[in-house]
Amino acid sequence: MKHARILATALAVGLAPIAAKAQSMSPMRGEINSFTDVFAVRVFPANPYDRKIRVEIHVYDQDFQPVDARVSPNVFQLASQASRSVLVVVPFDGAAERKVRICTESIPFPNQQTQIRAQICGKFFGRRKS
Amino acid sequence: MSLVRAACAAALLVAGIDEAALATTQNVIFNGTIAPTCTLVVATNGTMTASPDLQSLSSHNGGGSAGTVTLTTTGGVSLSVDPVTTMTVPSADSTSTTWTPTYSAAGAHAIGETGSATSITTPGADLVSVHLAGTKGGSNRFANGNYQATVTLRCE
Repeated sequence: MKHARILATALAVGLAPIAAKAQSMSPMRGEINSFTDVFAVRVFPANPYDRKIRVEIHVYDQDFQPVDARVSPNVFQLASQASRSVLVVVPFDGAAERKVRICTESIPFPNQQTQIRAQICGKFFGRRKS
Repeated sequence: MSLVRAACAAALLVAGIDEAALATTQNVIFNGTIAPTCTLVVATNGTMTASPDLQSLSSHNGGGSAGTVTLTTTGGVSLSVDPVTTMTVPSADSTSTTWTPTYSAAGAHAIGETGSATSITTPGADLVSVHLAGTKGGSNRFANGNYQATVTLRCE
């Protein structure tokens, strides 16, 4: 029991910085089995900048066409070095399986002549179980 | 008194050694899995300038500069740019323009300038330079005023 506690503490201390700072969005891959008409993914966008940024979450299909998914929240401000959870609920739309991209987008320096939009996309595969 | 202290210390030391000698060792196993991840940090936006014949507005032209982005990845990802879909042009510019975004990378991965997707298989950090070039054909010319474009750099 004591060893388990020590191990859990070590893992929590060791992995926390990775989850909080080292990614712009995690996870970037996933397979989800669902017994309903939708499948849900929780992603964690992170802000690696030293200032607040505006973040948008978009869901696309394999051809980068928008998917009518429920994203909460889909637009938000993220503080420097912070991350937060976003819940994405994707409908199967009658299919037995569905591949989607969930993308975190931000334009950290707007109102410039040539702006760069950084987009981090994760690929997720939902499979409907009967 | 000091003799008593020394005796006590010696006794404790012996007891400690004894304990250590009797102790068993246990292995604590740590497992960790890192899924493909990617971080893009925009350092600077780009600047486009016009060519002397006014048929090119590009970050490659003299006085222009590429946008720069820091990429850090575990590998197992793909880097690409999207075609430019949103462009703000001055009202005096009514002729069509072909916009071509490209990128190159230097650092852990050497990627020559390209507009296509690049698969990155190994981990490392890179400085990505993002360029945008607009060209006009025939007798068309860029007009006086402000142009603004957004280039999407994607890591997936």
